[in-house]
Amino acid sequence: MSNNTKKWFSLNLNQSKKSATCSCGNNEGSCEEKTAKDGYSQVMDVSMNRRSAFKKLTAGLLIGAGAVSTSCSVIGGDESKEKSAIEWDEYFKGNYKLMTDKEKNETVNRLVRSYELRTGKKINMSSKDAEDDVLFGYAFNISKCQGYMDCVNACIEENNQDRASQMQYIRIHEMEDGKGFNFEEADDNYYHEVPAEGHFYMGTQCFHCDNPPCVEVCPVQATWKEKDGIVVIDYDWCIGCRYCMAACPYDGRRFNWKTPEVPEEEVNKNQHYLGNRLRKKGVMEKCTFCIQRSRKGQNPACVEACPTGARTFGNLLDPDSTIRWVLENKKVFRLKEDLGTEPKFWYYMD
Amino acid sequence: MKYLKIAIIKKVMLGTLICLFVISCKHTEKKYHNVMEKIEGESVNYKVPSESPSMINAEIKTVLVEEGETAFLIPERKSQITSYNCVECHTEPLRVLKQKQADKKAAHWDIKLNHANSETMNCATCHTSNDMGNLHSLTSSTIDFNYSHKLCSQCHQKEFKDWKGGAHGKQLGGWAPPRLSNTCVNCHNPHTPQFEKRWPARFNTEKVKERQ
Repeated sequence: MSNNTKKWFSLNLNQSKKSATCSCGNNEGSCEEKTAKDGYSQVMDVSMNRRSAFKKLTAGLLIGAGAVSTSCSVIGGDESKEKSAIEWDEYFKGNYKLMTDKEKNETVNRLVRSYELRTGKKINMSSKDAEDDVLFGYAFNISKCQGYMDCVNACIEENNQDRASQMQYIRIHEMEDGKGFNFEEADDNYYHEVPAEGHFYMGTQCFHCDNPPCVEVCPVQATWKEKDGIVVIDYDWCIGCRYCMAACPYDGRRFNWKTPEVPEEEVNKNQHYLGNRLRKKGVMEKCTFCIQRSRKGQNPACVEACPTGARTFGNLLDPDSTIRWVLENKKVFRLKEDLGTEPKFWYYMD
Repeated sequence: MKYLKIAIIKKVMLGTLICLFVISCKHTEKKYHNVMEKIEGESVNYKVPSESPSMINAEIKTVLVEEGETAFLIPERKSQITSYNCVECHTEPLRVLKQKQADKKAAHWDIKLNHANSETMNCATCHTSNDMGNLHSLTSSTIDFNYSHKLCSQCHQKEFKDWKGGAHGKQLGGWAPPRLSNTCVNCHNPHTPQFEKRWPARFNTEKVKERQ
């Protein structure tokens, strides 16, 4: 498979070649497809009725015709030819979960080049896989959070979130003392001096469940759990049906109702394919534990920004890590534990 | 005949039950029941990674804290104190200095002590005029400025225990070893240790509009 770079031009269309293992490396997750299909087969080897077949054919033809006309045009410059070549390859690429390392590299390089062609600026994009012996977990100290919301700002900047719509991964809920976790009465958009008398603060975001219901419901397997426990989304494979948003009991997922816009000078150029790379309209996104940082050994941006030390992040498999100490020595709990979603995000108090 | 029939039905039902039992108890898909089991199970063979990721915040000068079984790094303190070394000014006893400089602007004029009450604490609880370059404990043993957590931990035992473990305080390095933590005085001004009230860093005007 790897010796055949532009596989979608081959004519023996229905003979998808077999590869030994699933390239996602996950043998316990929801990756059921043992035969890695190339991008073309992933699109074409689907039983469909005449109507949807015509729809797909038309869409493909339009894009293809556009690409062909630009790449074959005599007046078109080299750059626009390259651009349409990239568009072609990106349109027919496969699901990231099924890509080989080489294919991952290629798509990352295409995206970097395409950004350079559009803006003239260079970005760094990584496709770094999960490491062995790592399972990420998070702990949140309710007694320490003062509601300053520095984490929210850091998250927006780190993850290239759309500025205008103010869509954010983190929510800080202001709750009244003595009433427990009452989300109905909590305020997640307060603006007064904090901490307010008689209130406490708790943050929610994606909890990276070990048994994630959002992954189960995805009809196209565009979201899955990585080996290090991070639940990720392939933004290019997501069809925007928002089933996952409905399935998440924690309100952890966000939808791009419009094309996200980030001012060019504010774009975080250290990106990861599954993390903070620029999204498009109509796809899901959410907290990825800052995958572009955490896979490099750094803490997520929210942890680094928190001035109170209420946020702890670490490797659950390392018996000497601080997160393990918290789990073993503090009274920890999770939200809606009875659902069996097994979130890897614990709350505790002093 | 009747009894035979009943016996046969009973046998069939028993057989079905056994079959159901065997099928329903088959755990082929998942190895662990919950995430705690998974953590316990998979960390048994945990190996410290041979090549740890490059040290984050490597430019910070650090000292090593060793408390019981835990050992981690904290930022070095002395080089961060503006007027260290203290004996450069404190050449004479305080009484003499005060008399000599009565007409000059007082040093440390901006320090206000708002830490416990004056019955419990004053300057001399932590500082001593006999040894200005060091702190001293309740029993007058010397404590280096770099290890000021030893001074705080005399009263704040619970916080100290949580800090050693990692439940209190902020991590400066990454999640991967070696651990680099803030020490007490990096977040709390020892003279006014409480966090101050302030306005949140963000207010979402769009959210207000959406909810109207």
